[in-house]
Amino acid sequence: MTTARAAAIILAKELRLEFRTRELLTATVIFALVVVVLFSFAFDPTAAESRRYGPGLLWIAFLFAGSLMLNPSFAREQNNETLDALRMSPISNFAILLGKILANFIFMSLAELVLVPVFAVLYNLSLAGIVWRLILVLVLGTLGLTVTGTVFSAISAHARMRELLLPLLLLPLLTPLLIAAVESTASLFAEQPALDRTWLAFLAGFDIVFLTASWLLCDHLLAE
Amino acid sequence: MKNFEFLFSAWMVVWAVFFVYEISVARRIAQTREEIERLKQQLQQR
Amino acid sequence: MKARITITALVALLIFCAGYAALFIAPDEATMHAIQRIFYFHVASWNAMFCAFFVAFYASVAYLVTGKRKWDALGVSGVEVGVMCCTIGLITGPLWARPVWGIWWTWDAKLTSTFILWLLFIAYLLLRGLVEDPEKKASLSAVFAIFASLDIPLVYLANRLWRTQHPQPVIAGGQGSGLDPTMSKVLLLCLFAIFCVMILALMDRYRLELLRNEAAELRYEIESRGLDASDGQETRALQKGAQ
Repeated sequence: MTTARAAAIILAKELRLEFRTRELLTATVIFALVVVVLFSFAFDPTAAESRRYGPGLLWIAFLFAGSLMLNPSFAREQNNETLDALRMSPISNFAILLGKILANFIFMSLAELVLVPVFAVLYNLSLAGIVWRLILVLVLGTLGLTVTGTVFSAISAHARMRELLLPLLLLPLLTPLLIAAVESTASLFAEQPALDRTWLAFLAGFDIVFLTASWLLCDHLLAE
Repeated sequence: MKNFEFLFSAWMVVWAVFFVYEISVARRIAQTREEIERLKQQLQQR
Repeated sequence: MKARITITALVALLIFCAGYAALFIAPDEATMHAIQRIFYFHVASWNAMFCAFFVAFYASVAYLVTGKRKWDALGVSGVEVGVMCCTIGLITGPLWARPVWGIWWTWDAKLTSTFILWLLFIAYLLLRGLVEDPEKKASLSAVFAIFASLDIPLVYLANRLWRTQHPQPVIAGGQGSGLDPTMSKVLLLCLFAIFCVMILALMDRYRLELLRNEAAELRYEIESRGLDASDGQETRALQKGAQ
């Protein structure tokens, strides 16, 4: 069985599992919304300020929500020791990891699909004319988040206090991604919307580096 | 020397941190060595 | 044992010479005067930090490839010593900044990046503390160390692209002037001195970790033979009493 097909099977399983209850998705969206609203109490932004701080706020909300949402990825498998069953099946470790990464990517993207329009409304930012470019930035950023987040979920699943450990491991590592994503988003919300090529290339580079690292190290990640 | 307090504190910080670390490691080495001796004796008693 | 004492004494002497040189031999710098002397230790500790983290990276890869525990021991030593050097750098930085710029901290590229590094590798130490199984602890922290090390250049690049406020260092010279020859000699001496101190700390920590592994193995051996690990005699007395 090829890696792609195996990953697709895992992906399908994860999606089916989540869509039965949709609790993770709902919780993620609500939590991100809470962050967004809380920020509005901390600052009462004018239009210019919204444009300035908005992108930062958006991505911080995504990072926080993401680090909570990524935990169950591997933690769930611990309860009934289903990871052992997966490992015994004839699919590569990378396929398992990739399937989970893709599942988390889809969940995160769905959450963002809801959040971005709401955010635009709450902070009076117009999405006209920048939608596709914004989607590109979101995709690259979310990919970096989910790749590293899924790997760290696998790591912290073996530790105590995993809900606290995952953000602790993930957030410092993601600061370059945060900077790049915020800058790219900010340049799209600017007076003259433009796609910042440097930061976009940086995001792509970030994703490639960590995807490759995950592929090289996946056997140690999922070992017994 | 102008701002001598800052310069002096900086120098002190460098050595203090190293010293404290070295001493803590050395102490733990001694403790672990004792423990190893004790454990070895236990094994021999068996 | 003798070698150990000699080496420690030599390093102590080196430290003293470097300190003396930095404080008295190096010429006074034009704009910042005496306080600029912190630069010798500040830069030296960054250098030591990067070396230590590199050792940790190398050791982590080596552990995953060979599976030998000594590499894991070297890995954790590298990270711990690296964090220590980073702490020194993060403390001497503000001690330099306050008299010169009037502020303790600034979110410029270099300082921010290094602060992030500090957090990242402390997370490594936390991870180790929270995983109990020794095999898992070693392999998972090795994976994390590799990810963290890969992130280092990305962190610096991102912060650099984003903003820069660090004083253009005397070496790169705002006026295009190079470093005064005496200053560069003193700098080299301090770099070497702190590097040696780092290596010493690294080797000691490494030895501690190896000893700990040995103790753990002995404890395991004792337990598997059915003896009580704390005090064999007590258990035997109890057993006799129970009979």
